[in-house]
Amino acid sequence: MAEMRLEGVRKVYGGAVVALDDFSLDVADGEFVVFVGPSGCGKSTALKIIAGLEPATSGRVWIGDRDVTEFAPARRDIAMVFQNYALYPHLSVRSNIAFGLRMRHQPRVEIDRRVQEVARILDIESLLDRRPRALSGGQRQRVALGRAIVREPQAFLMDEPLSNLDAKLRVHMRAEIGALHQRIGVTTIYVTHDQTEAMTMANRIVLMRNGVVQQVADPDTMFEQPANAFVAGFVGSPAMNFFQSRLTKGPDRPVIEFGDATLPVQLAPDIFARYAEQDVLVGLRPEHMSIGNGTHSTVVRPNLVESLGSERYVYFPVPTANTVGHATFVSQDEDRRANTMIARLMNVGRIEEGAPLPLSFEPDRIHLFDPASEQAIN
Amino acid sequence: MAVQTDLQNRTERTLGSSSWIGRLRALDLSSPRHADKLGYILLAPAVLLIFVILVYPILLSVDLSLQDVDIPRIGETREPYTLDNYTKLFGSAEFWRASWVSLKLIVVVTSACFAIGLATALLVNQHFKGRTLARLFVALPWAVPEVIAVVTWWWMFDSSFGLINWLLVTLDLADKPIAWLSQPVPAFLVVSIVMIWKGYPFVSIMLLAGLQAIPEDHYQAAKVDGAGAWQRLFWITLPSLLPVFGVTMILVVLWVFRDFAVVFILTGGGPIGATQTLSMMTYEQAFGFFRMGFASAIGVVTLVICVLATRLMVSRMAKSMY
Repeated sequence: MAEMRLEGVRKVYGGAVVALDDFSLDVADGEFVVFVGPSGCGKSTALKIIAGLEPATSGRVWIGDRDVTEFAPARRDIAMVFQNYALYPHLSVRSNIAFGLRMRHQPRVEIDRRVQEVARILDIESLLDRRPRALSGGQRQRVALGRAIVREPQAFLMDEPLSNLDAKLRVHMRAEIGALHQRIGVTTIYVTHDQTEAMTMANRIVLMRNGVVQQVADPDTMFEQPANAFVAGFVGSPAMNFFQSRLTKGPDRPVIEFGDATLPVQLAPDIFARYAEQDVLVGLRPEHMSIGNGTHSTVVRPNLVESLGSERYVYFPVPTANTVGHATFVSQDEDRRANTMIARLMNVGRIEEGAPLPLSFEPDRIHLFDPASEQAIN
Repeated sequence: MAVQTDLQNRTERTLGSSSWIGRLRALDLSSPRHADKLGYILLAPAVLLIFVILVYPILLSVDLSLQDVDIPRIGETREPYTLDNYTKLFGSAEFWRASWVSLKLIVVVTSACFAIGLATALLVNQHFKGRTLARLFVALPWAVPEVIAVVTWWWMFDSSFGLINWLLVTLDLADKPIAWLSQPVPAFLVVSIVMIWKGYPFVSIMLLAGLQAIPEDHYQAAKVDGAGAWQRLFWITLPSLLPVFGVTMILVVLWVFRDFAVVFILTGGGPIGATQTLSMMTYEQAFGFFRMGFASAIGVVTLVICVLATRLMVSRMAKSMY
């Protein structure tokens, strides 16, 4: 077990494509850190650089107190779990798990003992003599985990290990990996594109986009205080709604307008001075709206209502005055256009599409972003 | 079911119900109900062709091998069945020598083809500049028509004017020209070399395809697990290639077994039978001495050996992987 440090790691492909830019991170001993972001954000590249499977163009990688930047993967004392499990089809489960120990010429008795122990932890003792192709997806996943933990390495690297499982099994294995981490407490770096996995498993999340780290924070902070509109749109499901509004002076606090509703916002006076009488990007999470008339409410006409049983997703058009002209930020579900918003309403009755629906807002939960830089301003 | 019948009825009505043309039109071969019929119809030409050019000649030669016949003529009364040809065959020293030569050739050529084929496949599977060109060069001998290639080699090994002898003498590796094709051991060597040269690209191409099918993940996982280059070769590459090895080995062995052009052009089976393979012997008996019955017997024995060898290798290789 060890801490890990990345110092200004940069990766450039073919002299032009920057896959990873100035990536620095300190990972504490025993921490579970999740790299998350859309495809092509550089998260897998970062993991491969840590594993030593790809060289960094510049920067240093430390594992424990050793600078491993120039080390081959074998010398870094890490174990990796791959998306496709990378189990060897010609070897039995037992040999697959024992592979790393055998390559390191451990005594046979010791190998057998450790394989048995790992099989017991992962509950795959009955599968040891099978070939991988005779296993289900979840069992293969366990074998892949077994191959990693049997080595008792300094750190685990996991590259989207759950993305080949079906939704139900994924939730189950997610919990299992979490429990396993708590039990053996090895420093883990976990790569995923699924924000739910990141939110549920991580001690800390590293959210990336186009090779650049957007924010490093624990899940709650990332949800409540996103550093920019991209982070705000990526974390949370359904994704945050964005609209545009002019920031003006209200009776006691600065206000924004949404349709015919006037919403007071929290803003430091000096920041307000900078953005007063200008358009800002406003973020409002679907769950921070509720049905009925309140202090701050407006009437919308839903054009689509999705029922999930206990909750309903109500889609309604953004008033023309509030539509974001330049939607450069990327939300999790990109197909949602800038002129539609979603409200996530809990335990409400039937909602008619097209009929007027009063919605009230929680102004304290409103996020404001700079329209150009998209950085959070409140 | 009911829906389908209803649909069929309606189709028939529109197409003229009672006429057989209408019914034929309504017979939609792409429907799941008729899919197997369509399969048989599409297979029929190939099956027919195989019968005409493979099964029938095989039956014919089995029939011939059981008769004491030199030149069979159509319409002539057939000879009585006898096992004479087989008794004579298994009693002849020539047959056993030809079998031994064939076996030696198979072992030497196949192992050399696999050694060179694997090495070149591993080489051109690496990422380097000019890889496409290297792949082309590796595959080149395969693309040269066999007869042209063998005639060229024959000239190169010519004892008086050949390039090889000139090189050996010029480089002081031999003090006088070697009579390559008129001494038993050198003649066998030359036949082997030419067959290896002609045969290794096929192995290389097959193994390269096999190499490319090995997921990169396996290598990365092995690297992380601490496997060095040799360990990766023995623990991952070679086991993953086993199925390809099996199929390729069968094809190469069969090719060496039945190849005729190389021996025929280079040595004609000589000197004193040193390069006479079973296929060469079959040819000589059939079209040199016109002993068709006897030649057919050799052919049938060769076929049986090939079938047994194939069967053996297929089951072994296929099982060893999974």
